Amino acid sequence: MNKNTNKKASPDLFNLVQRFSVPLMFILICAVCIPLSGLSANMLINEIVTRMGRNAFLILSLLIPIMAGMGLNFGMTLGAMAAEIALIFVSDWQIVGIPGMVLAAFISIPISVLLGIFCGKILNEAKGREMITSYIMSFFINGIYQLVVLYLMGSVIPIKHGSIKLPRGYGIRNTVSLLSMRQKLDNLLAIQIAGVKIPVLTFIIIALLCLFIVWFSKTKLGQDMRAVGQDMEVARDAGINVERTRIISIVMSTVLAGFGMIIYLQNMGNIATYSAHSQIGMFCIAALLVGGASVDRASIGNVFLGVILFHTMFIVAPKAGAAITGDSMIGEYFRVFVSKSAAGQQLQAAQDAEEAAGKEKAE
Amino acid sequence: MNKRKLLFRVGAILIILVIAACMFVIGRGHTVYFDNKETSYNGQTIEPFYKVTVTVGDQKPAKLSKGDRGMADIMGQKLTMTLEITDAEGDQPHAHKVSMSVPYNMDGIMINVPALMQGLPQDAYMSEFIIETPDTGSTDEEIVTDEFDMGGDM
Repeated sequence: MNKNTNKKASPDLFNLVQRFSVPLMFILICAVCIPLSGLSANMLINEIVTRMGRNAFLILSLLIPIMAGMGLNFGMTLGAMAAEIALIFVSDWQIVGIPGMVLAAFISIPISVLLGIFCGKILNEAKGREMITSYIMSFFINGIYQLVVLYLMGSVIPIKHGSIKLPRGYGIRNTVSLLSMRQKLDNLLAIQIAGVKIPVLTFIIIALLCLFIVWFSKTKLGQDMRAVGQDMEVARDAGINVERTRIISIVMSTVLAGFGMIIYLQNMGNIATYSAHSQIGMFCIAALLVGGASVDRASIGNVFLGVILFHTMFIVAPKAGAAITGDSMIGEYFRVFVSKSAAGQQLQAAQDAEEAAGKEKAE
Repeated sequence: MNKRKLLFRVGAILIILVIAACMFVIGRGHTVYFDNKETSYNGQTIEPFYKVTVTVGDQKPAKLSKGDRGMADIMGQKLTMTLEITDAEGDQPHAHKVSMSVPYNMDGIMINVPALMQGLPQDAYMSEFIIETPDTGSTDEEIVTDEFDMGGDM
């Protein structure tokens, strides 16, 4: 009996290490890079807390499609674009502060819903290849976004302020200032603990989203999504409208990504009109994977662990790279290289672990 | 879709629209410029004060000598400010709390403090301040996209 347990425990441990190889690798990288970076503990914690408030909502928006078995939703970029369009309008209408953010959130909802339905319908035609389809979809919608923002805004869609428009009279500038709402959410109810600024209201909103996700997973629709995620055919036989459930999950993810992008941009204080959204999908997914999530399994814990590990690496890698090589650019390359290779490594590790588990089950 | 569900959805949309409308009003930002300059109204010349300190909310007070201009950012349609006016050199300043509604359609609002304190009509002390976008000489700026997702800092 004991022998059997030992036999079983060994591959389990191996699978576990294999499954969490990326978080472990990141812990190792951070452990090496933190002392090399020369950053004080206070500054490091401050940065991590800021980035946690900035990114956690966006990353949480990825959990619902995973629940529905649609993998990592690269289509969250669509929600980010909806949020940017909403923020451009709000900036032009000079609605400032928290009301500006709330209004932008409301404006982003219909755009996100439409894009989410469109994305969901296409993903239903590409079952089993959702991630690559949503990735390519984000490029396609990015083209439409550029058409709207670069050519239609100011010419067809009224934009009043010259500070937002390109000098030629139509199209939006590379950078739109959000100074009037910069860190308004983060600073409201913010507290300082040992020199570390805690954006309490932002964390309350993130906590509410966590509670919503936990509650939602227990609702009928949440259970349907789980069932669809486990086996679409069984779910269909059980009377679940699989296609509709999948579309709803993508719509929810897109809308939440839009809200997350507004929180992200209010923290940054400006919109990089043509590039802000393109980085979001990749980095959020990388952070989630670094936290130990996989294509079909992710939890709220993975989100927070991922933000901490991924962003610690992001903060310390350039300085550590500069300290090691004497060239800060190598540090920059290092962090982009590590973050993207980590995402690939985690996907591979998760795949291997699943295959091993599948083999074990079959035996 | 049953009637109850439809009513619930219509109600939710209406609530969102009402909140959005409220945000339009309470979140409208204005930049208010305060002038302590000589002005004239109906042939009457209004002299500036020796010194005026304008405080709006918890923003840094604008200390205006003769001919100076200060500014403050406000949110919403009501401007409340405290004016500490010194009429002449060596005089004791006297404080006034002034509240007024500001026009929704104006981004920049210019208020002439001496005319305001004279109790003149609104058009005598308030006008629109239009910011000219500086001409940088170029007809366009190069659009920078991140087409290949090379990333950057998050």
